Amino acid sequence: MTFFLDQLLNGLSLGALYALIAVGYTVVYGIIQLINFAHGEIFMIGAFGALSTWIVLSWVTGGSTAWWNLPLMLVGGMLVAVLTAVVMERFAYRPLRNAPRLAPLITAIGISIFLQEFVRLFYGRIPGFPDAKSAIPFPQIEFFTGDAVNVGGLLIHRGNFFVVGALGVCWAFLWWFVNKTGTGRAMQAVSQDPDTSRLMGIDVDRIIVIAFAVGAALAAVAGLASGLRYGNIDFKMGFLAGLKAFTAAVLGGIGNINGAVVGGLTLGVVEAMATSFIPGQFGGPAWKDVWAFVLLILILVFRPQGLVGAKVVDRA
Amino acid sequence: MRIPTIFTPALQKRYHTVGRVLALAGGLLFAASAYLPWAYSGDALDDMSYLGGPSTLQFLGMFLGLILAFCAAMGWIEPWADARKLFPPLLRISKRAGWTRGAKATGIGVLVYIGIVLIAITLELGGLVTVEWGGWVALVAALAGFVGSRLLTAGRQPSLERARTAPWVDIVAIALVLLAGLMLAAYALNQVDGGTFVVILAFAGVLTAFLLRSGIGGWLSAVSRRHRTVLVFSAFAVAFLFPFTQNGSDANMSIATQVLIFAATAVGLNIVVGLAGLLDLGYIAFLGAGAFTAATMSQSAFATIGWKPPFIVVMLIAGLVSATLGLIIGSPTLRVSGDYLAIVTLAFGEIFRITMSNLDGSDGPDLVHGSSGIPAIPNLNLFGFDFGAVHVVAGIPLGRFSNYFFLMLLIMAVIVLVFTRLNHSRIGRGWVAIREDEKAAEAMGVNVFGLKLLAFAGGAFLAGLAGAVKAHVDQSVTPDQYIFLESAFLLAAVVLGGMGTVMGVVLGAALLKLVPEKLRFVNEYRMLLFGLLMVIMMRVRPEGMIPNQRRVLEFHADDEDLVDEIEEDLPYEFAEEGS
Amino acid sequence: MSIDDVLLTGDLPGHQVGKQEMLSARNVTMRFGGLVAVDDVDLTVHSGEIVGLIGPNGAGKTTFFNCLTGLYKPTSGEVRFAGEVLPPKPRKVVMAGMARTFQNIRLFPNMTALENVMVGRYCRTSAMAVTSIVRGPKFRREEAETRERAIELLAYVGMKGQGGHLARNLPYGDQRRLEIARALATDPKLLLLDEPTAGMNPQETRQAEELIFKIRDSGLAIVVIEHDMRFIFNLCDRVLCLVRGKTLVEGTAAQVQSDPRVIEAYIGSPETQDGADNA
Repeated sequence: MTFFLDQLLNGLSLGALYALIAVGYTVVYGIIQLINFAHGEIFMIGAFGALSTWIVLSWVTGGSTAWWNLPLMLVGGMLVAVLTAVVMERFAYRPLRNAPRLAPLITAIGISIFLQEFVRLFYGRIPGFPDAKSAIPFPQIEFFTGDAVNVGGLLIHRGNFFVVGALGVCWAFLWWFVNKTGTGRAMQAVSQDPDTSRLMGIDVDRIIVIAFAVGAALAAVAGLASGLRYGNIDFKMGFLAGLKAFTAAVLGGIGNINGAVVGGLTLGVVEAMATSFIPGQFGGPAWKDVWAFVLLILILVFRPQGLVGAKVVDRA
Repeated sequence: MRIPTIFTPALQKRYHTVGRVLALAGGLLFAASAYLPWAYSGDALDDMSYLGGPSTLQFLGMFLGLILAFCAAMGWIEPWADARKLFPPLLRISKRAGWTRGAKATGIGVLVYIGIVLIAITLELGGLVTVEWGGWVALVAALAGFVGSRLLTAGRQPSLERARTAPWVDIVAIALVLLAGLMLAAYALNQVDGGTFVVILAFAGVLTAFLLRSGIGGWLSAVSRRHRTVLVFSAFAVAFLFPFTQNGSDANMSIATQVLIFAATAVGLNIVVGLAGLLDLGYIAFLGAGAFTAATMSQSAFATIGWKPPFIVVMLIAGLVSATLGLIIGSPTLRVSGDYLAIVTLAFGEIFRITMSNLDGSDGPDLVHGSSGIPAIPNLNLFGFDFGAVHVVAGIPLGRFSNYFFLMLLIMAVIVLVFTRLNHSRIGRGWVAIREDEKAAEAMGVNVFGLKLLAFAGGAFLAGLAGAVKAHVDQSVTPDQYIFLESAFLLAAVVLGGMGTVMGVVLGAALLKLVPEKLRFVNEYRMLLFGLLMVIMMRVRPEGMIPNQRRVLEFHADDEDLVDEIEEDLPYEFAEEGS
Repeated sequence: MSIDDVLLTGDLPGHQVGKQEMLSARNVTMRFGGLVAVDDVDLTVHSGEIVGLIGPNGAGKTTFFNCLTGLYKPTSGEVRFAGEVLPPKPRKVVMAGMARTFQNIRLFPNMTALENVMVGRYCRTSAMAVTSIVRGPKFRREEAETRERAIELLAYVGMKGQGGHLARNLPYGDQRRLEIARALATDPKLLLLDEPTAGMNPQETRQAEELIFKIRDSGLAIVVIEHDMRFIFNLCDRVLCLVRGKTLVEGTAAQVQSDPRVIEAYIGSPETQDGADNA
């Protein structure tokens, strides 16, 4: 039973990570029906941004790992991620807004490869920064990493607190942002009908940039959380995580923010359970990614609108 | 690309004649400078240090200089010949060509060419001092030619593509172009020096620019449309002759075979992406499925399947395995929406790679020995023909890779046949209709799902065939040969070359494979550059280098002039008059 | 006119102008959640007959149309075409002999007019992958027939010689006609036209009218949705007026035209207008 609960918690924290990234896919898709393939790389950039912030801080602090590093790293990661996402939107996606659907998809692949390679080749060339061609150890921030905490017989990995907490805060923030602010309502309007929204005086371009930025900020949170959880980061981390997060977004119903959260958590739990409870050779960590993608395909067959899905998937 | 307008029309009007003299003189001087030493020592490029003995690259430069001089001179020759009624048929053709535009393109071209040569010399020998005086003469000549050509008033729009030339002229032209292409490719492949390779690429680029701007390119493409069959057959004939130009060296043939495998796979992918409009990001997995199938059924000591049918059967099974996987992936996703297919194929690529790595005996049944794969796959032996042995034909020894090259050429022919024939058929029309308006196509009775599945599974089948051969060429098959980046690389070939055309993709594939192979410093940045290239191509020329006309229309829906232009050029088969 | 004659004397199928029952909808009801878009509507169409479908905006015309063409499966009731209930798959419906045009023209813009019509032949031809690659005599014959038929049909709708133009470059009236030609290429027994004269000038409307009569005379059954009353009453043998999903009146053009309820539904008393805006 303890083992089961352990795995459940493990799955939930993994799922929270997916959920944070999935929101980025879903927000952008909800507004311009674009699958931003390169979003996984934004997550990776966010992690590297957080790491870089810590490295720069450490030149002053001599490598302190005190808790107050964390908010600074978060801000640093978010800045870099949001900047990348906004530049990407402006120069790669915006000119293609009326192009056939294939064009932005291919562009996204191009950006994805470019960003990965860019980090791999050039990150280490910045003086004082480690070489990014292999995995880089992530700083161990006090309280958020270290020995697992024993809560009523359950051992909880400390990194999990951060990611689950972050998801909670972000979700609440998103709810407030989308429903209670003018910008959020404008976003809803644009996702319903961009042309009419434009006629109503909404700056659609600005809304789209904000959608990209919000997604990127959350991806940066996930990047930092991932660093804390796994203890290292590398330039490839965005590819698989992005793919999983997309699966989560589809699972919940793409275009739906709550769906992304539910989908992320579900995917995380399913993955953890599949790893622990599928007996025989096809269980275990070696197959967990396969099961996640099989789930994606099954969802597309049986419930393409997703678990929560309010949005119609098939666009005429 | 616009050159900043220092050379305003007013300026051009005033100094028109000066410009012509400058361009003519610059071109001639540039050509003559090929006989001067350009470099201080013979170690740079292909030895440009002799007085009176031009190297090959210098000859190529001379050729460009002569083109420039000729184009500039045509501004005088034409009226002169016109006044005297000399060679009326030739003159008629000449009047359709855009000589001035050609001169302007070549003017920039010679400057770029000499610029690259001088930079290469400087880099290879260390410092500007290593450029010999002849090099500076050439630079001055190129500058004069450039400025002169810029000073010419804007030339007429070429209309050579409408010139009706005799069939024999057409066929000779096709033959000449292909032969020149073969020689250039063979020459480029033989270069070990990266700088030389770049200079050859620059030469090819300048020549292409000249051909396109002067209208000769338009004529050539009209010719190739008129004689499509001749073109296809002679292209294959030229490719077939290629191994005979290598004097038995297998080093280049190894590259050529890899290029051919890559190109054949990319053409297969182009059926899916270019014709049916489906973005398949896991295409390499289908190649991999074919390769693993062939490997497990090969004579290798590590092969895990005891049944050893003849290779033809293995190849078909490999194709069918890939096609079946395609059906399994495609049938759920093709029903929903195009975007999902892209992601699911991406996921499928990962599933394939992970599964292959796991089939190692501990995480799954030991089918392919996990990440170490199946090594020591022996050479093929088809109908008593040993692919591993050297065969001497007409006194020229043809090694192992040449043998596989011929086999791949055969497979390429099959894939090209499938591609073109499907494109020009009821099915091809259905694909276009689906790309244009899926709902309307469905409502008109087009079997949308069936056609998509056909493209997807058919593409997978062809990749499976190529994979079966690849297993034997590479002699080993491991999961890490079939990763997502390879799929992206294939996609880049399609995007760069041209969606929906064979020629474009072959060109794209050749460039993408050869450039990193020949330029070591590019190799490291290869994926970075190709990622960037895909983004840039989608912005500036989404239809690719050699595009399909319909793709141009789709990507440039707002450009009315372009639409009208293309409508006029539509091949007969789309219009009524054809029947 | 020679090609027209050929067509009129039997090239279009279902040519026997006997009053065959083509389409019969019985008690068709379509609900979306709590909303009843179509409520218990009956309609019978015979071959060689033009039936008009009118009603104010939101009356459920298009929903009913979609039930007929198989895009929607009615919540209750049934639609029989030539005596059979068709599966709700657009393609199967076309194969059975029902073709449609679209309210907002949906041609394949980057294909030529001729190719557009040739796509319409898709469901009546059969060459699949292997046949297309091998290119035997059967393939060539079929391809030549497709092309010939498409050229004939272009001439039939009055677009002779226009086949080489891209659909997107055609004038508006020609685009409408091309859509009809494309629908005719599927060899339909029943043609459903969704506002065929929307946006046309009077001259083009008259041409469209002539074309529709010509098609009717060759034995096809036709259902037309239209807002242009003059057009409808000129054209139709029978008219069905829907209001808020229910049949208001069904009868000959003259009957419907003079029915005060129809006039009220269109020009309206305040109460009727309120509820009319639902579908």
